Amino acid sequence: MMDEEQTRAFRARQKSRSRVLGLVLGAMAVLFFAISIVKIAKQAENRHPVERLSPIKQS
Amino acid sequence: MQAAQTPSTTAVPLPAEWRDFFALTKPRVMTLVIFSGLCGLLAAPGSLHPVLAFTAILCIAVGAGGAAALNMWWEADLDAGMKRTAKRPLPSGRVDRTSARDFGVALSVGSVLVMGIAIGWLAAGILAFSIFYYAWIYTVWLKPRTPQNIVIGGGAGAFPPLIGWVAVTGDITLMPVLLFLIIFMWTPPHFWALALFVQIDYAKVGIPMMPVVAGERSTRLQILAYAAVLLPVAMAPWFIGGTGMVYGLSALVLGTIFLVLSIKVGLRRAGPDDAMKPEKRLFGFSILYLFLLFGMLVADRVATLQGWQA
Repeated sequence: MMDEEQTRAFRARQKSRSRVLGLVLGAMAVLFFAISIVKIAKQAENRHPVERLSPIKQS
Repeated sequence: MQAAQTPSTTAVPLPAEWRDFFALTKPRVMTLVIFSGLCGLLAAPGSLHPVLAFTAILCIAVGAGGAAALNMWWEADLDAGMKRTAKRPLPSGRVDRTSARDFGVALSVGSVLVMGIAIGWLAAGILAFSIFYYAWIYTVWLKPRTPQNIVIGGGAGAFPPLIGWVAVTGDITLMPVLLFLIIFMWTPPHFWALALFVQIDYAKVGIPMMPVVAGERSTRLQILAYAAVLLPVAMAPWFIGGTGMVYGLSALVLGTIFLVLSIKVGLRRAGPDDAMKPEKRLFGFSILYLFLLFGMLVADRVATLQGWQA
């Protein structure tokens, strides 16, 4: 069993760890979002020339 | 019965602090890993979107951190016996072994997966192999068995610029292999200079470091030999036309200083109560050498892109 001071130290340590873990997870979510946007933009860039060429060929 | 009737306050171990987990990643070593990986990425021909470049460097750093955590998990008992490492999170009891192992595995697997998805599977494959190389080939297999542990294990630290380069180009050519070789040849004189002035610690825990097994004289001569080979290897990118004069001349000057300091270490004998100043100077310069050499590699690329050199 923990006394009051030990409990306070235990909770403080848990809180500090949770806060850092939350920050890391948040940063990862932002990073994955940014990676997705860059990848999608790249794919769109690669597709454009073909789309632009096809109507010229038809005319 | 008595214990159940009278509630007592027992010391409950506190959960590990986030700083202790961070310490498991060997942040000091990581700075060199990040720097050399970044230099490989910036010196490579081609370009990478800043978000992807950041992700690649992050994956290299996190992968190195995971490998370091696995290294500390495996070597916790050895670390407890050495003054230099006794205060690390595991031997001091601030982190338990299972948490350290799981943390190392999570960082390693996570970094490889993100590298593969975001950058490419060749870079991810090399990253995975570098983690395996450090955590298993070096830590578990070679370090406790052979005094050549540092020579072969040095390969683990040589991967970051190769991965950084491959992240941009998507293939392996001679240039990134040369960058790998530079760090590979640099590691033995760098580490043996350190091992010369902390050899008592290694001897105590039974790690067959070169000064412990082959003796000080042989170690000193081998430092000199590696430094002599490092000079032409570091200049090879210039010889094959992969870099310009900025890098070539820098490699020549830095390599010559490295060789001169190594000669001072190689040809001397330490007396009783020796302060080991030349060894400490060589160890200190070896870190500066790598930072400057790879910095000049990037400067050379910038100079070429700006048209300041052919």
